[in-house]
Amino acid sequence: MSSRHRIRVTVNGRAYERDVQGRRLLVDFLRHDLGLYGTHVGCEQGVCGACTVLLDGQVVKSCLMLAPQADGRTLTTVEGLAGRGELHPVQEAFREAHGLQCGYCTPGFLLSAVALADRGVVLEGKSLRAELAGNLCRCTGYQNIVEAVERYLRQTVGSRRG
Amino acid sequence: MDKLPWVGVSVKRKEDERLLRGAGRFLDDLDDTVALHAAIGRCPYPHARIRGIDPGGALEMAGVEAVLLGRDVVARTEPTNVLRPFPGAATTAYYAMAHPVARYEGEPVVAVAARDRYEAEDALERIAIDWEPLPHVVDAEEALRSGSPLLFDQVPSNLLAASTVKAGDPDAAFRQAAAVVKGKLRINRVTGLPIETRGLLARYSDQTRTLEVWSSTQTPHLVRAQLAHVLRMAESDIRVIAPDVGGGFGIKMCVYPEDVVVCLLAIDIGRPVKWVEDRVEHFRGCTHAREAVHELELAGSADGTLTALRDRYVIDAGAYNSPFGPPMLTNLMLPGPYRLRDGEIERRVALTNKVPVGPYRGYGQPESNFVREVLLDRLARKLGQDPADLRRKNLLRPDELPFQNLTGATYDSGDYVRCLDLALSRVGYDEVRAGQAAWRREHRYVGVGVSCYAEFTGYPSSAFLGRTGAGFGAYESVTIRMDRAGRAAIYTGVSTFGQGMETTFAQVCASSLGLEPADITIYGGDSRGTPYSVGGFASRTMIAGAGAIATATGEIRAKMLRLAGHLLGVAPEHLEVAAGVVRRTDDPSVQLSIREVSEAAFLGHRLPPGDDPGLEATAYHDPPASAFGYGSVAARVEVDPRSGAFDLQRYVLVHDCGTQVNPMIVEGQIHGGIAQGLAAALFEELQYDRDTGQLVNGTLVDYFAPSAADLPRFELDHLETPAPATSLGVKGVGEGGTIGAAAAVANAIGDALAPFGVELDRLPITAESVWRALEAARSRPAAAVN
Amino acid sequence: MKPAPFEYVTAETTEAAVAALERFEGNARCLAGGQSLVPLLNMRLLRPAAVIDLNRLSGLDHVTVDDGRVRVGALVRYSTLETSALVAERIPLLARAVPFVGDRQIRNRGTLGGALCHADPAGEMALAAVTLGASLRAVGPDGVREVPADDFFQGPYTTALAPAEVLTEVAFLDGRGAVAAVAEHARRHGDFAIVAIAAAGLPGPGDSWRWVRIGLGGVAPRPLYAARASALLAGTRLEPKAVRAAAEACLADADPASDIRASAEYRRHLIPVFVERVLAELRERRRGGTR
Repeated sequence: MSSRHRIRVTVNGRAYERDVQGRRLLVDFLRHDLGLYGTHVGCEQGVCGACTVLLDGQVVKSCLMLAPQADGRTLTTVEGLAGRGELHPVQEAFREAHGLQCGYCTPGFLLSAVALADRGVVLEGKSLRAELAGNLCRCTGYQNIVEAVERYLRQTVGSRRG
Repeated sequence: MDKLPWVGVSVKRKEDERLLRGAGRFLDDLDDTVALHAAIGRCPYPHARIRGIDPGGALEMAGVEAVLLGRDVVARTEPTNVLRPFPGAATTAYYAMAHPVARYEGEPVVAVAARDRYEAEDALERIAIDWEPLPHVVDAEEALRSGSPLLFDQVPSNLLAASTVKAGDPDAAFRQAAAVVKGKLRINRVTGLPIETRGLLARYSDQTRTLEVWSSTQTPHLVRAQLAHVLRMAESDIRVIAPDVGGGFGIKMCVYPEDVVVCLLAIDIGRPVKWVEDRVEHFRGCTHAREAVHELELAGSADGTLTALRDRYVIDAGAYNSPFGPPMLTNLMLPGPYRLRDGEIERRVALTNKVPVGPYRGYGQPESNFVREVLLDRLARKLGQDPADLRRKNLLRPDELPFQNLTGATYDSGDYVRCLDLALSRVGYDEVRAGQAAWRREHRYVGVGVSCYAEFTGYPSSAFLGRTGAGFGAYESVTIRMDRAGRAAIYTGVSTFGQGMETTFAQVCASSLGLEPADITIYGGDSRGTPYSVGGFASRTMIAGAGAIATATGEIRAKMLRLAGHLLGVAPEHLEVAAGVVRRTDDPSVQLSIREVSEAAFLGHRLPPGDDPGLEATAYHDPPASAFGYGSVAARVEVDPRSGAFDLQRYVLVHDCGTQVNPMIVEGQIHGGIAQGLAAALFEELQYDRDTGQLVNGTLVDYFAPSAADLPRFELDHLETPAPATSLGVKGVGEGGTIGAAAAVANAIGDALAPFGVELDRLPITAESVWRALEAARSRPAAAVN
Repeated sequence: MKPAPFEYVTAETTEAAVAALERFEGNARCLAGGQSLVPLLNMRLLRPAAVIDLNRLSGLDHVTVDDGRVRVGALVRYSTLETSALVAERIPLLARAVPFVGDRQIRNRGTLGGALCHADPAGEMALAAVTLGASLRAVGPDGVREVPADDFFQGPYTTALAPAEVLTEVAFLDGRGAVAAVAEHARRHGDFAIVAIAAAGLPGPGDSWRWVRIGLGGVAPRPLYAARASALLAGTRLEPKAVRAAAEACLADADPASDIRASAEYRRHLIPVFVERVLAELRERRRGGTR
């Protein structure tokens, strides 16, 4: 039998309290228990990064965490970037650069980009590509994703410094 | 048609906002609060008979609603029909579940529906199956040898289909050739690997006896047709809806066994049932692609003229003719963009105990490009010519087009030589040639390789498909409906899986109706309420779809002109549609807004005699011919001859896809194609163990899909020769990027290592395979080095 | 692809973790970063009765220096190792090895202790531990013991930990002043190493090296400290002859296998190539002062 646990998490600024099985994956909890379907499942093997979310501000793959591990933690999913308001600058950059096609991997890339900006690093080219290696895309060939993130980092981190 | 103000404009995509917000709705995002969840049990052997199966343990579990067995599936359904069969192909009855014999590891044999996926998987483990493993074969050439284990009693020697085409007099050409090069070249087995796996949600109504199916598919109408056939239902009793689809690439374009299984469970239980393929299932349940072995020969004359081609190849089809069928364009595009009239091609399609093979972006063209272009470089070396010069000499010139190639494809338009020259100049071909000798003295091995292709996009016509036995037509269709506010909605059976169709359809429609793309709403992917549609594949959506939009908007525009003429008291022939208005051509101040015209059409109060209210049209468009894109790739590499590792330093593609509706989207499509081309060329391969018959690397951990860090920046340039036969002059663009990748890199490596006489003959090209080729070259007698 | 049922247990102290492991009699798995464990749970390739979450254990995320040793808590995450100034200064090899591990997300979760207990023969952390002769502290029902890294790794995914033992800390010799380099070949960025060679050395007088330690990853059932090669290099200037001799000694120690990533033959071929490369980098780093 899988054990059951009462957990409290804050997701996108909102507090939730739920009962979960010990074996429940964090990504399933976010999607099917909280209805936050913007976080996607691509492999459940920790490779594709479609399930990337921010855990206390750091990117993690939510298919590689058990839901009860998130007890007491703060999470951000793609739904938390802009809420219902104007697009977040990272979303705007992806739209401008045509950094998405089918859009399935996109939430993971957006959160990876936001975490980079939060670390205050402006990367480009190969070093940026290395930082994005935890997110797979099959549509774009990455070129416009890299361009979108470069653009976003320049704007966000660059202006913060300037 | 008037000027098309939105064609050729890089409009930002209409799809993006919902996807960026995480508000796209993919299959697994659909409300699942009431649905049951299916899990599917699969054959763990490459070939085995089920002696007995006992589902008792599963049925006792709390939360388990139903168990479905193969024998019930076989009794209640038809095998799936093949949408694009090889002519003369043997029948391989492919049921949604294997019973009593399973023919590949991963073939579905049992299914469970339970409260959630976790419990469904728990239940699967409680089903006892008594297996009798049978002899297997996982190599296509071996499968065709006598004495090999047979997959089907009625298919002798596992030969699914065979054919030979011959044109001109290749035997004479080979006899007279100054040089002949031969190679045995292997194409790897790969898969499209969309980041969203497949999935299905099915709901059956006992009251109306109708089935509603949400499927992550490129072809909702074809899925409906196949489901109707397999489930013995009327098409009108089935509705298929494609929600947002997370990538397709050709592998989501037909019914799969699991689709049928989920529908049967939903029918049996009377509650919605959802199944989402997991990644382990994906590698064993979704069609694989491309695997083939070619024995190709090219003949050339002393001046570098390519005179004949001879190929004998085997496609590894896997265990069944898949519901769409293996790739068809290898033959057709093998001659490439060259002036080549003599040739003979023998194709054999073998059955093996592996996952069935289906279409994947390129559909035979990356395969034929690799084998031909690699051998062209060998021919050039043998004749002592530069590989680029040899290609330039043999490429068809604009005044030679249209040109029917030796397998029957008619190339329509373009400037192949200019395309190659642009690629060469962009990559710095001459600079590399000039620097190579000096670099080699420093033990630096830099090389540049090219590969040229002509690309078959769209289908010649529905009649053509009919003659070849296809289960679908070449057309696309739309219903366009204006509303009282003067906006338009397009209803199309095409689903949206990344290709930007919502935006490009809106651009074409807006251009014709005097509207802006923002005024157009696309309702796609639902078989209910859309005219019969074929779907999004074969680089054909824009070719066929733009034609349908042109016809439908043409009808609507004519009616707007009649209406406006009636209201303004002006003869319709003196009116035109412009941005937001209908106006007099000679006096634009006399005008009505499109909103006013629409309002009038829907109020119906003041209509011209003979016209009915409303402003809408449905149109089908069957393209009169295919369109042929083309391109040239130039790649620059530096190779470390000690480890075999290579650095892909430059990757240039110059291509021509005719009129570009949205250049931004065109570039995106090309980028994605190149990445998948390079992924298959340099990283990915599905490997089977010969002894166990098992798929060795069926996880994303061991299937080396490249990340951003593994790929270079791509450099593109475009020519734009409108296709003569298609509306707007568009040529397809979805697949072209994949075609030239493998050969260009192989040729660049071959060029870099020319001092060693290295010949690459298999994909993927890895550091180890380069090292092996180097070792082979070192151990070859010098005389054998070309 | 969902985990089979198990009991999820959080341990707040090492003692509680050990007690939980005892309770499940060898049928429990410890969860640290989970980056290797959870995929195996998802695929049901592992089906423990219990998963014992160590992430709430306090006091195992330290990096401290005492008594000539640098002590790293088992729960220190890769991303901490990557940015720690102390690690860069005192265990430069570890700092050099971390960027080869996985990707950003994985480095944010994965832990040093988890990597060592997973004992992947190609794992960079295990490679660094054996190369540097680290000492691993295990706490079990019978108390605390120190296990030399070379004894800890017993084979692919197999360690010397007893069923109810928990790895709590790794002690490295203080490597202040040492220079380190890692050379690795993989099928794609961040993928498991086909061959990984690690080297650390302490500059001596002139161009000479007081000591050099070489380790081999991915070429044997467990990571290897190349003792003979290391001995051959001590006191040399890493001149070509010494390097060649060391490369040959490394090759003699290796026992590579074939797998989906590379053949044994190719791995053998790469060993001397990468030994030479890593030693060249070592010299280069010394010259460039980049350690």
